Amino acid sequence: MASDSTSSSSDSAYDSAADHNPNSDTPINNHDSAIDDHLTSLTLTPLDEDLAPEKEREIEETDQTPMPEIGVTEVEEEAADVLASEVVVEEERESNSVSATGDVGLAWREEEVEAPASPGSSGYAGERGSSNASSASGIEEIGEDQVAERDGGLVNGVADSQPAWIPGKRHVNEDDTSILWRRRKKHFFILSHSGKPIYSRYGDEHKLAGFSATLQAIISFVENGGDRVKLVRAGKHQVVFLVKGPIYLVCISCTEEPYESLRGQLELLYGQMILILTKSVNRCFEKNAKFDMTPLLGGTDAVFSSLIHSFSWNPATFLHAYTCLPLAYPTRQAAGAILQDVADSGVLFAILMCKHKVVSLVGAEKASLHPDDMLLLSNFVMSSESFRTSESFSPICLPKYNSMAFLYAYVQYLDVNTYLMLLTTRSDAFYHLKECRASIEAVFLKSNVLSEVQRSMLDGGMHIEDLPVDPSSRSGSASSHLGQHSPERFRDTYTSLGGPCGLWHFIYRSIYLDQYVSSEFSAPINTPQQQKRLYRAYQKIYASMHDKGFGPNKTQFRRDDNYVLLCWVTQDFELYAAFDPLADKAMAIKTCNRVCQWVKDVENEIFLLGASPFSW
Amino acid sequence: MGCASSVPDRTARGPNGLNPGGDGPSDAKNLKVKLVLLGDSGVGKSCIVLRFVRGQFDPTSKVTVGASFLSQTIALQDSTTVKFEIWDTAGQERYAALAPLYYRGAAVAVIVYDLTSPESFTKAQYWVKELQKHGSPDIVMALVGNKADLLDRREIPAEEGIEYAEKNGMFYIETSAKTADNINQLFEEIAKRLPRPDTSQ
Repeated sequence: MASDSTSSSSDSAYDSAADHNPNSDTPINNHDSAIDDHLTSLTLTPLDEDLAPEKEREIEETDQTPMPEIGVTEVEEEAADVLASEVVVEEERESNSVSATGDVGLAWREEEVEAPASPGSSGYAGERGSSNASSASGIEEIGEDQVAERDGGLVNGVADSQPAWIPGKRHVNEDDTSILWRRRKKHFFILSHSGKPIYSRYGDEHKLAGFSATLQAIISFVENGGDRVKLVRAGKHQVVFLVKGPIYLVCISCTEEPYESLRGQLELLYGQMILILTKSVNRCFEKNAKFDMTPLLGGTDAVFSSLIHSFSWNPATFLHAYTCLPLAYPTRQAAGAILQDVADSGVLFAILMCKHKVVSLVGAEKASLHPDDMLLLSNFVMSSESFRTSESFSPICLPKYNSMAFLYAYVQYLDVNTYLMLLTTRSDAFYHLKECRASIEAVFLKSNVLSEVQRSMLDGGMHIEDLPVDPSSRSGSASSHLGQHSPERFRDTYTSLGGPCGLWHFIYRSIYLDQYVSSEFSAPINTPQQQKRLYRAYQKIYASMHDKGFGPNKTQFRRDDNYVLLCWVTQDFELYAAFDPLADKAMAIKTCNRVCQWVKDVENEIFLLGASPFSW
Repeated sequence: MGCASSVPDRTARGPNGLNPGGDGPSDAKNLKVKLVLLGDSGVGKSCIVLRFVRGQFDPTSKVTVGASFLSQTIALQDSTTVKFEIWDTAGQERYAALAPLYYRGAAVAVIVYDLTSPESFTKAQYWVKELQKHGSPDIVMALVGNKADLLDRREIPAEEGIEYAEKNGMFYIETSAKTADNINQLFEEIAKRLPRPDTSQ
């Protein structure tokens, strides 16, 4: 509610904007004036600008308070007490007394603590902090931001830089009696309705049987009262529950992410499990309530841990949209054409991806692929090493497509990052799909698709330094292309500043296309922890823009110590932009308009256009 | 197993399951056979195949998902060639219900266990029974005790494997994918035992 006052979701202002731009065909310049009027009306005088930061910070804090109301009942308070005595007290002590340095070092370089696993000393990270911090210093610079970093949940994963991240289960030796386990910033659990552990992010599931039974007790205690527990807040911790038939999912986190985000993460975690097993796994519980599901998920730790890791870097996990590898239009067309031929021969979905980015994608008539399913599928393929060794044929389920049935996925890596997935309903289609792959590969070779893909991987997509300076002078010019960096780009001048007008980064999500594009990270957002902090900030502002309680917001301008975040939602797109915290508001708004124009100019390179599978 | 209900619709499957398609039929000189590897997870099925097909050994364990497909051709002394189309199946329990998809129509089944793991030997016996019930009647079966390099950790004596193999009309061999010991011999022995098409026609 507090955010409303700054975010000015005044309907009349929005309506006027919307009227000017009923659809995407309208020249984007109309948007420009609209958002200009809309946002500048907030800052009437330069004086106001000076006051703004303070005011907004205050709001930043207060807007935390309405949260606990969500779904918390009296019963849940009792539950919170149970939990507090179980877990949280310990954590409170940790957060108060542990030296920040020790904490950061400790969790950052988790391998360091793994071997000794002797939290027996006292559990105060300060004691071990010196050695850990020094061992970590090679990887990260612990700067003046360390407290904020810690609060921002830097610690919850392993080294969060993507290249350094290694999939797989960690800290198998830990359980709920070990202090290290309790200190983890973000836990995920899957358990059965009889309290049997199914998955835990940290520690061995079987050793966590007692803890798992406690979670089950909380859930069923509330359910017995005819209610449902959604969220328990205990100190800095949130405990989020999601009940899916006989499967319970729980997240315990002190990362200060919004409830909606954590719940969305649990939904994805459940989806990932369904992708592996289908929903018919529920029948095992009908036959035997005490059914032990862990053997069925054998060998999938890497799949879950990689998904959980993506909750801290991949915007697709909260935007519910996918992103494309930037590619020249004719190249993507060539790839799409051969995939279309394949789809016409009885393949349900033909998907070509490079890491987590889509190169091209075609679906059979009337078959639509949900962006969440794509996320889960690509996560599954990328985190299962065996797909890299040889061609594979494996049953998988797309939870949003049909959660009850398996599809069969033919998967083959075409180069080290690029993989082809052909999905079919026919379990005997392997040899047909193998032939399809051969013909696809032949076409790719002829039209240089794979070399273009590799080039794009190296060049990256939208660099904020390339943001065209004056959109008006180039409106209508069809000559803008990505990757054609003009020599006078002044990259050196900008290295310490980011892009023009203090623009640091942006994410643009096209609503009709279910796709987003995110600018490449550059200075000053160039360390993994800064990227993660920005990611969390986007996640938070996304949640606040989509908060049903406050009504959908249209624009939001938020300034804090780290950034200015500007966010603009229309019927056609959502734009999230981060600026230097000292950025001028009027200039920031102008810059956002230029970003939108730029996206429009290069849309046929950054988006997959005319992809039918998303027309629902 | 465990989750039998998640078996895909069997009626959707063609009569032959995953059997080699069009590219050149077998003839007397150039055999093409479908081979399936079965066994508990972690016994080294993928390692055996990768050693045989690519001469590689990767000690980091990579859990197979569904099944991997590889092929390798070997030449025999009598100037015939045998092309093995190999289905390296996942040993995980959730894929057990899907095994028929991969072993249906297979001319050869290689059942692998880990010499250091009694459970994996029990699992191997389960697969032998399953194939006797549902596999092709003239299927050639090999029982493979893998990880022969781990001498001091052996739990299953050779005699036990030999005895079980003999009782069930299989041949027995001990291999090490790590040292490449007996890997080629395994596939050569299989090739020798294959029924030749010219004798049956």
